[in-house]
Formats: sequence, structure tokens, C-alpha cells
Amino acid sequence: MLDIANTEPGGGRAVPALRVEAVSGGLRVVASGAWTVRDFAEILGDITALKLPKRPGQTRAEIDLDGVRDLDTAGAWLLNHLRAKLTAAGIAARFRGGSQAQSGLIAVVESSMVGERPPPRRRKVIAPLIGDAFTAIAKAVQDCIQLTAFLGVVTRSAMRTAFRPWRFRWVSFIHHIEHTGLRAVPIIALICLLIGAVITQQSIIQLQIFGAEPLAIDMLGILALREVGVLLTAIMVAGRSASAFTAEIGTMKTREEIDAMRTLGIDPIETLVLPRIAALIVTLPILAFIGDIACLAGGALIAFVYLDISLENFVQRLHDAVNLRHFVVGLVKAPLAALIIGLVGCLEGLNVRGSAESLGTHVTSSVVKAIFLVIIFDALFAMFLSASGF
Amino acid sequence: MNGAGAGDPIISVRGLSKRFGRQAVFDDLDLDVRRGEVLGFAGASGTGKSVLLRCITGLLPVDRGSVAVFGRDMSRLSWRERLSIESRWGVLFQDGALFSSLTVLQNVQVPMREQLKLPKSAMDELAFLKLAMVGLAPDAAHKYPSELSGGMRKRAGLARALALDPEIVFLDEPTSGLDPIGAAAFDRLIRSLQETLGLTVYMVTHDLDSIFAICDRVAVLADRRVVRIGTPDELVHDPEHPWVEDYFCGERARAAYR
Repeated sequence: MLDIANTEPGGGRAVPALRVEAVSGGLRVVASGAWTVRDFAEILGDITALKLPKRPGQTRAEIDLDGVRDLDTAGAWLLNHLRAKLTAAGIAARFRGGSQAQSGLIAVVESSMVGERPPPRRRKVIAPLIGDAFTAIAKAVQDCIQLTAFLGVVTRSAMRTAFRPWRFRWVSFIHHIEHTGLRAVPIIALICLLIGAVITQQSIIQLQIFGAEPLAIDMLGILALREVGVLLTAIMVAGRSASAFTAEIGTMKTREEIDAMRTLGIDPIETLVLPRIAALIVTLPILAFIGDIACLAGGALIAFVYLDISLENFVQRLHDAVNLRHFVVGLVKAPLAALIIGLVGCLEGLNVRGSAESLGTHVTSSVVKAIFLVIIFDALFAMFLSASGF
Repeated sequence: MNGAGAGDPIISVRGLSKRFGRQAVFDDLDLDVRRGEVLGFAGASGTGKSVLLRCITGLLPVDRGSVAVFGRDMSRLSWRERLSIESRWGVLFQDGALFSSLTVLQNVQVPMREQLKLPKSAMDELAFLKLAMVGLAPDAAHKYPSELSGGMRKRAGLARALALDPEIVFLDEPTSGLDPIGAAAFDRLIRSLQETLGLTVYMVTHDLDSIFAICDRVAVLADRRVVRIGTPDELVHDPEHPWVEDYFCGERARAAYR
């Protein structure tokens, strides 16, 4: 404990003390020293341990405050507590002495001592667990319905804008192309390069067992173009842009900017949501293409280092292994993934309510939902395409 | 309370200068706060009323000058001494600044838990006492800050600021965002607590009603320094500075002053 009083000028610390004397006509309880919150526990212990001399017929007591140097609310509470203890023992006690300020404080504290208190809320364990599970399922269903409905709203707005292209927010559209597309290029290129390299290196090690190392290039080609390039890009964009969309729109929502737009006759879907989703639909295929190339470049690097295959031979091998449909299958998923990411990001932003905490939870859930939906969608697409022979 | 004598200023700011980038907020600012007074601190928006509060409480470093609290220069204290000084003041931020993950009761107990070793039952007793003193009903104790109204959040914040029985309380716009009835009630609460607990209150405000209702003295911040300090009466009758005149002799002030 910090000895606050000791560091002060004006002498040492006044040790709180309590003693009982029997005087004619009753008891005298003498309190002295500093009755403050610093010594609360000690004084409380003293009061609890206080032995009242048992003498029949003793029903009065005086609590002498003349020796009390400092008194704060905690000390006043303790004095009231002391008096309550005496009262419980059948002794009517009253305070004597002390300054006017001290008496005032004791009186205020006494009137503030609350008798009954509500118990803290208890948390049940089992019932809420089951309840939460059902709530979560209901919430998931509700989310699906809401997302579909939002798709409808955005489509309607897009159709309307298609007939009036001058209403489209071109400045905003270009701004978001820069932020979601151009600025994402370095990170996406780097990550795809590294993953391409890792895939190639791992498959070379496995294929060595069969002496078929060059097949690693075939594998990389198909994997990168069909799945890895676009999926990695989509996940990165979901992490970067879905969160950004939610944060931007959500902040506007908390500051009532969205409501202000509505009152001014501006459609927030048209001004905020449409340019963002359109920008993503344009940029994600381009980013996915860059991702594809970076992935292949990573593979080429590893093939050169591990297998001593030159770039020319690598390209030749790749050319034999893949054909256009692999590339198209990969790339065709990109705009659809963009639509999912944009919808989730903007919808979560519009769902933000009031507080800053709400903004935080919605940004988190926006990223989680966007990534989850992109992967689900990719898996469904892969099954559909292989079943239909692509 | 013990400490420096009654005549000395409890807070004394000398030659304070502070700038943000190229913009000077204070230039050679002096201010004295007397023990046991309610000092209102007024000034136009953006003149740095809250910045000064942050400089005094050490939340912002000062560029030049000294801040002495309880007669001790804050810049020359060791970490331990500083901590002991800090436990002798309480701060109420604009919206209470309650910790959102804790209940009101736990919020009030935070300073006790950090500074003192008290049994749980004792902390409960003291926290309920503080809540009652700031006029919060016991059933608010187990609520979270998000479940409270603005006025209740301020009261809970005040209870937390008073948890360790400080000698100085800093209030940052205590009545802003409250309706007039709530604001008047909060003013009365501050005054009555100040009287019973012998507090020194440093109150940043631009609420004229508060100033006339409870302030012993008012300091006015303008032109990067305290241009005027005195009782509300003195400022009304002898403003001396154009901004002070506009503020204290305008129509709204006249309505509040009556």
C-alpha cells in the first residue's frame, strides 16, 4: 500500500485507534487518528474485534470524535458502522465532539447507507447455451434472408442507374477502384508468389518418390489458375475491403450521416453501396489475374532453383498442361466473389447501430462472413463445374 | 484534510506553453486554484479548455512552464510520488468514460482495487455508499454503462472519481448533454458534495447556468492565456476583455444571471 500521508509535509501519519472506556452512566468509545479509506480494513477489523465490557443495565454510549484528525467518507461509514454495532448490542450510542464538517459528513453518509441491495445478476449456464445455439441458427437464417433481400435492393438500384448512367457516382467509383484495386496489388502479388512457390516446392518433394518432378508444374498450373489465384485474392480482398466498407459506412451510420442523406433525398444505396460493389466487380478479376501470374512466377522460381528448369522450359511445360478453360473457370468466379464481398461489407456497415462497440463487432463479422461465404461459394462452384465437365 | 496550508493555491500553473505542431494553444499561461473553491473554467470552443485540464492532470506533456499540485512540481516527481499525488485527485470525463466491460459497481471499485487492498465486502460497502452519494439507485449498480442514460453515466463517473475521497475533482463539461433539469440537479450535487467532502472543484464548462449557480470563481481562457479570473459578479460588472464581455454580458448570460 502506498503511504500517501507520509509523503506530505506537516508531520507523520496519524494512526487510527479505537478504545472503550467504562465511565459513569455508560460507555465511552474513543476514536482517534486518521479515519480514512487507506486504513479501512484495519479499522474495520478493530471494530469487529471490539469487546464491549459486559455490565448489566448498560444502555448508553458516547462515541468521542475529538481525537479524529482526518475523516473521509470511508471513515464516516466506519463510524456509522460502529454505532450500528453498538445499537445491535442494545446500546444507544451518539456521537460527541468533532468538527462541524465531520458531523455533517457523518450525517450525509448515514443517509446514504443503503439497506437493501439488489443481488448481482446471476448467469445461468445450461439454458442460455441451448438458447444461444437456437439464436445462432435463427440469426444465420435471418442473415441469409437479409443478404438476399439486400441483393435485390442493390439490383433494383443498379437497374435504375443503368437507365440513367449520369446518376452513377463516377468519382466515388474511381476512388474505390484505387483503394480496393490498385493499393491491393503489392500484397496480393506477394502472397500469391509465395503460395505458388510453396505449392511447387511441396509437390516436387512428393513427386520425387515417383521420379515425376516435372509434373509439379502441371499441378501448379491447374491449381493456380482454377483455384488458388482467385481464392487467395478473394480472401485478401474480403479481409481488406469488406472491413473497409463496413467501417466507412458504419462510421457514417453512427454519425447519422446516412439518415441525413435520406432526409436530403439522396439514396444511400445508390451513392454508397453501388460504387463500392461496382468497383470491386471491376477490380477483383484484375487482381485475380495478377494473383494467377504471381502464383505461376513463384512456381517458375522454385522450378528453376530445385529442378534447374529454365523459364522457357517452364512455360513450354505449362503451355502443354493447361488450356484456356482452366483460366476461364478461375476468372469467372472473381466477379461473383466480388459481389459477395461487396454485399456483405456494405450490408454489415448499414446494420451498425449507434455505438462504437457495434461498429467493431460488425467489422469483425463482416470479414468473417465475407471469407466464409467466398469459400463456400468457391466449393460449390468447383463441384458444379467438375460435374458439368469443365 | 491535511497537506498544504489554507492560503496556498492547491493547483498553481506558471508560464505554461503548449503547442500542437505550428499552432500554439497556450503561451505563458498562469493559473491558481485555491483550496476548497469551485473554479469554473470558461472559454470559447477550441481555445483549449480541455487541453489545459489534460496538461494539469499529466495526460498531455507541457512544452514549457510548470504545474504544481499540492505545492509539488509535477514534472519533478518520481513515478511513485506521482502516483500518490494522482490518487488524491479524481477526474470526470465528458461522457463519464466508464469502462464498458465492467458494471457500474465494478467501475467504482477500480480505483480501490488498484490503489488499496480491501476485502470484497468492504469494497461493495464503499461503492454502494458512493453510488448513493451521487444519487444513483442501488439497482443501477449491476448495470453496464451502455444500459444507462447520459446523466446516470455522468453520476457513475463522478462516483468513480470520488472513490478514493480525492481532494481535487476535475470535471470536464459536467453538464453538457444533460437536459436543463438534469443539469441543474447535477450542479446541486456537485455543490453539496463539495461542501460535505471539502473538495476543490476544477470545472471546465461553458454552461452559464452552472457558472452562476455553483462557481466561487471563474477563469476565462482566451488569446492563449487566462485573461480574467474572479467571482462571477466581478466578471459581469467588470469584464475587461471583449470575449468576457460578450460571454458574461450577452443576452443568455443576463437570463442566467438575473
